[in-house]
Amino acid sequence: MNFLALLKDTLFQFLGLFKNLDTLPVEFMRLLREFLVKLGALCGIAVPQWALDLVSSLVIIVAILVTFLILFALMSVFERKLLARAQNRYGPNRVGPCGILQPVADGIKMLTKEDLVPRAADKVVHYLAPIVMVAPALMLPVILPYGRDMVAVDLPVGILFFFALSAGAELAVFMAGWASNNKYSILGAMRAIAQMISYELPLVTSALVVALVAGSLSPAALVAAQGGYSFGFLPRWFVCTPWGFAACLLFYIGALSESNRCPFDLPEGESEIIAGHLTEYSGFKYAIFFMAEYVGMFAINGLLVTLFLGGYQAPFPFLEWIPGWCWFFAKLWAVALSMVWVRTTLPRFRIDQMMLFAWKFMLPMSFVALLAAAAWYYAGQGLAGWVLSALIVVVPYLLLGTFCFTRHHSATNRRYLYSE
Amino acid sequence: MHDFLQKIVALPWDQSPQWLFLIPGLLMLLAASAAVCLRNLIHSALCLVLSFICLGVLFMALGAEFVGFVQLLVYVGAVAMLILFAILLTPAGEVAASNNPLKNFRLSSALHAAAGAAITFLVLAGLLTAIFFSPRAAHAVLPAQAAAAPVALIGENLLTHTLLPLLGIAVLLTAALVGAALLAKEDTSL
Repeated sequence: MNFLALLKDTLFQFLGLFKNLDTLPVEFMRLLREFLVKLGALCGIAVPQWALDLVSSLVIIVAILVTFLILFALMSVFERKLLARAQNRYGPNRVGPCGILQPVADGIKMLTKEDLVPRAADKVVHYLAPIVMVAPALMLPVILPYGRDMVAVDLPVGILFFFALSAGAELAVFMAGWASNNKYSILGAMRAIAQMISYELPLVTSALVVALVAGSLSPAALVAAQGGYSFGFLPRWFVCTPWGFAACLLFYIGALSESNRCPFDLPEGESEIIAGHLTEYSGFKYAIFFMAEYVGMFAINGLLVTLFLGGYQAPFPFLEWIPGWCWFFAKLWAVALSMVWVRTTLPRFRIDQMMLFAWKFMLPMSFVALLAAAAWYYAGQGLAGWVLSALIVVVPYLLLGTFCFTRHHSATNRRYLYSE
Repeated sequence: MHDFLQKIVALPWDQSPQWLFLIPGLLMLLAASAAVCLRNLIHSALCLVLSFICLGVLFMALGAEFVGFVQLLVYVGAVAMLILFAILLTPAGEVAASNNPLKNFRLSSALHAAAGAAITFLVLAGLLTAIFFSPRAAHAVLPAQAAAAPVALIGENLLTHTLLPLLGIAVLLTAALVGAALLAKEDTSL
């Protein structure tokens, strides 16, 4: 068997894979490994396991990176288009058909800008901050299950991995803010860190709710637990249960806050502190911060899809012929675009409102969701579980909402405690 | 060429090599000593963060993924941030003022160095004794089934054998939280 015959054989096998789109990526990796083994045999080398692992890891890494960078580029143009439509204008429409090549122009612009470092800045920390920001953000997507058996690293503690790496963003924001030696930067960094730490608690707790019911911290196992349909039509996604719905909303708000998106974009409130910790960054370092924020946003949306929206599971039985990874990315885009919708709709929080919302509303509600999930777990998944967990969620929600957000028309002179 | 390739291929690449353990370990020691030696407090704190991260990596290299990620989550995400906040919110003048008298007295500084060395020696000796003479040292390597389901095992142990210490820590943390809330409350009622 010569090289050309092997190539032709593999090519035909590859084309044969298109019969089943659902398993295409997984089968492709298997085919690649087989091809490498045969190629080695042709050259007289027994290809060892580690070399196969190395090559397939590299292919997977490149695939994930490219996917998320394309998502980032598309998001940057779609977001501007949607914002423009919401504000009754056209948005970017000059570069390429319908402005779709706008990210390329943005990239070239960013690359050719001068990279300024303030003279009073701490050079080393100023240089390291974008790296510390982008490295964990690019590592986040590896634990997400994109389809059946399509998970790059099936960690048994995947959820924990995600939150442990998210801590890198806080560190990077602090480094950027402090090293810039600029009052706006350090104020923005302090705001950002206060916000991230406050919202991380409800975020992690609402993820814990799912782990409690599914009894696992592995994302693949969590998605597998959401297969099937209750009552014959309702998908068993966790969002379709009372406790899951509450936890999903909490997680969504936490995700908005973690990715510094409107209405939680206080760290970059232009009218108050210029661009916060990004004030002294320009050129490609600024672009890297921007990219890390968007990749991080897609990663956390992916985790939301995995935890609550059933990952690669289809919403209806008659739609199961569509490949799982298509469902995953469809849901990912739905969540991401809903964040743009929120951005067009809501004004920015004041900082005391933001803190009050995190500590007095979201944290107690996430504990309530935990309690409701425990009730669901012990009451069984029948009608009793539904009613009980719905009651446990709704009653505290109404009470807390009345307690936290009723305006008290008493004081005449209002003082803003945190803004002085 | 062909022989060379086959030799390289046959090397035991997939067995966990010593250097994988050595790099984070050395980096951790380096970062920790930098944290002590550097003049700039923020730089020290950032070096401390690096040593926390390396410690997490060491845990992961030992197969204790859960502990490693918790180390990152708690120490890098929370404790390091607390340290950085504390440094930024403490007036820098006080530290310099308390340091100055030490520099004037050579004897006193020598005494302080001796005390520091003694404390370091005692702590190190205590740690080493604990490590070498503990009953668990004999089976320091985890059995295979323990490595397979560490999270479930840790959870089960926490809520059965070590329930009382866990509750004690919970009470302690709650007390700290109430105390912090009290301090913050007094601050705002001015």
